Amino acid sequence: MSIFSNWTVGRRLVAGFGLSALTVVLIAVVSYRNAYLLIENDAWVAHSHEVRTKLADLLSGLKDTETGQRGYVLTGDEIYLAPYQSGLAAIQTTLADLRKVVSDNPDQSRRLAKLTQPIDDKLAELKQTIDLRRAEGFDAALKVVLTNAGKAYMDQVRAIVAEADQTEQDLLKRRTEEARASADMTQMIIIWGGLIGMVTVCAIGWLITRSLSEQIGAAVGQVRSSSTELQSAANQQASGAKEQATAMTEISTTINELLASSRQIAESAQRVAHNAEATANAARAGHGTVDMTQESISSIRRQVDQIVSHMLELGKKSQEIGAVLDIVSELAEQTNILAINATIEAAGAGEAGKRFAVVAEEIRNLADRVGGSTKEVRVLIEDVRSAVNTTVMATETGSKAVDAGSRQFGDLASAFKQIAGLVATTTDAAREIELSTKQQSTAVEQVNVAVANVTQASMETETSAGQTLQTVSQMAVLSKDLLRIIKPHMAA
Amino acid sequence: MTGASSQLALRVAELRAAFDRAFAAPVRTGAAVRHDLLAIRVDAEPCAIRLSEVGGLFADRRVTPIPASDAALIGIAGFRGAIVPVYGLRAVLGQAPHQEVPRWLVTAVTAPVALAFDLFEGHLRVPADAILPQQSPERLRSYAPEFVRSADAVRPVLHLPSIIAALENARTVFSMRSEP
Repeated sequence: MSIFSNWTVGRRLVAGFGLSALTVVLIAVVSYRNAYLLIENDAWVAHSHEVRTKLADLLSGLKDTETGQRGYVLTGDEIYLAPYQSGLAAIQTTLADLRKVVSDNPDQSRRLAKLTQPIDDKLAELKQTIDLRRAEGFDAALKVVLTNAGKAYMDQVRAIVAEADQTEQDLLKRRTEEARASADMTQMIIIWGGLIGMVTVCAIGWLITRSLSEQIGAAVGQVRSSSTELQSAANQQASGAKEQATAMTEISTTINELLASSRQIAESAQRVAHNAEATANAARAGHGTVDMTQESISSIRRQVDQIVSHMLELGKKSQEIGAVLDIVSELAEQTNILAINATIEAAGAGEAGKRFAVVAEEIRNLADRVGGSTKEVRVLIEDVRSAVNTTVMATETGSKAVDAGSRQFGDLASAFKQIAGLVATTTDAAREIELSTKQQSTAVEQVNVAVANVTQASMETETSAGQTLQTVSQMAVLSKDLLRIIKPHMAA
Repeated sequence: MTGASSQLALRVAELRAAFDRAFAAPVRTGAAVRHDLLAIRVDAEPCAIRLSEVGGLFADRRVTPIPASDAALIGIAGFRGAIVPVYGLRAVLGQAPHQEVPRWLVTAVTAPVALAFDLFEGHLRVPADAILPQQSPERLRSYAPEFVRSADAVRPVLHLPSIIAALENARTVFSMRSEP
């Protein structure tokens, strides 16, 4: 039953009607077979009757020939030979027909073959008597008749024909019984087959009706429920489609603004590309300037090195001057000491040493001044040495600064090269941005067209949703009507 | 640079002119009395010595240390064929004695004695009124009874005969103490 419940409606109908048709076909086949057998049996019955008729005709023909022979023998009148003549022709024809009709039965064929000889002998005896009557007269013919040979031949024929007729009667009896049995069977099949077929069709119809009522009722209930849900969904879809159409209109407006912005970006990107190209040209020019500046810095570096070398040489010379000045200072000091000692000696010499004292005093003054000048020169030299040291330090600092500046300028040149490369890359990128933005504008236009199409589709969807809602409402009414037809108690 | 060269040449010319003028000018007679002094420093203290009391000024003379009980006696040195004792003025003036032999030496006129000091600053020629009597404590006043006001400082004028006399007295006292 569970398997039957899983069948589809078509399958159930096909199975039900198929089973009914199979019952009808079975009854028809059996009835046809029985009718066929009955007809065939009837043919065989007719065949047996034909054989028996032919056998009777054969005996009748023999009797006609014997009748003609007796009339002629008794009368001698040729007119009595007419049955004899017609009997001969009928015997030959009947024998030929018999051979045909019993050809399917070996026993009957064998009997027919065994029947030929006595018939020939009988016909020969009849011919002999007729010929004798005609030629020698009645006595001669009677003499032959009195031999009873003809009667013996005739008895043999009658016995064989009777045997064959009995056989045919047996066959008739058997076939009659078979025909009766077949008719009874046909009758039974028609009666019982009809009953069984009717019961089967009723049962199948009841089962199909019951199952279909339940399932179609359930399906109709589901359709009804689904129709309600679909109605709600169609309402939501209509509302959603309306909102979607509104949103798509807003999107279309936004995309138009985006398209305008995209075109502005494309124009800006074009200007950026032009500016970047101009920057790249300036960067190339600046690159040459940077190379020249780097060469100048290298020249400054070499000159600073020379200045440092000269300053160090100047410091060394200053040290040498200081050494010479030490000698001069020592000489001045010694001169001063000598002058003082000379003054002392001149004072000791009394009046005679006064002029020498003057000389000694002047020498001492000169030594003092030389000493003072030496101190001044020393101060100057120290100033020079300090200045040289300061200059050397400043120059070294400057040299280091030049080195650092050179390195920094190298870095700057490298950075400038990188900037130039990046500017070139920026130019390419700006061109790509310009191209991409143009493509983007084209794409946005296509999107705008697509959005317009979507808006149109949304509107159509809204209309379609309304139609769907209407259809669903009709379907709900239809399902209610269907349920009322199938299960009125559920439709209430 | 040109200005400095011309200034130097000007100074050289002034020096030459002063030198020539000194010999060209007549001998000054009857002029104001002026005193010659040596400006020195003992340790860091500026002092002065009358040139008339000095027999000679010497620098970088080799002084041979000798063992002595007198802290002021540094050693002996040779001056013009004579060996004289060398005393340090720091110890004489009551200051910390020299750790090394000072570079500058003066010999006294009155006795074969040399005095060592730290620095010779120059020659001073001052008028008589620039030298004034000293109002310092007794001991220093015995060695420097006067002071002179120079351009850069006020210097006590060491009196070498007094110092030499004090050294002689001290040596005499030591000799008397050392005799049995």
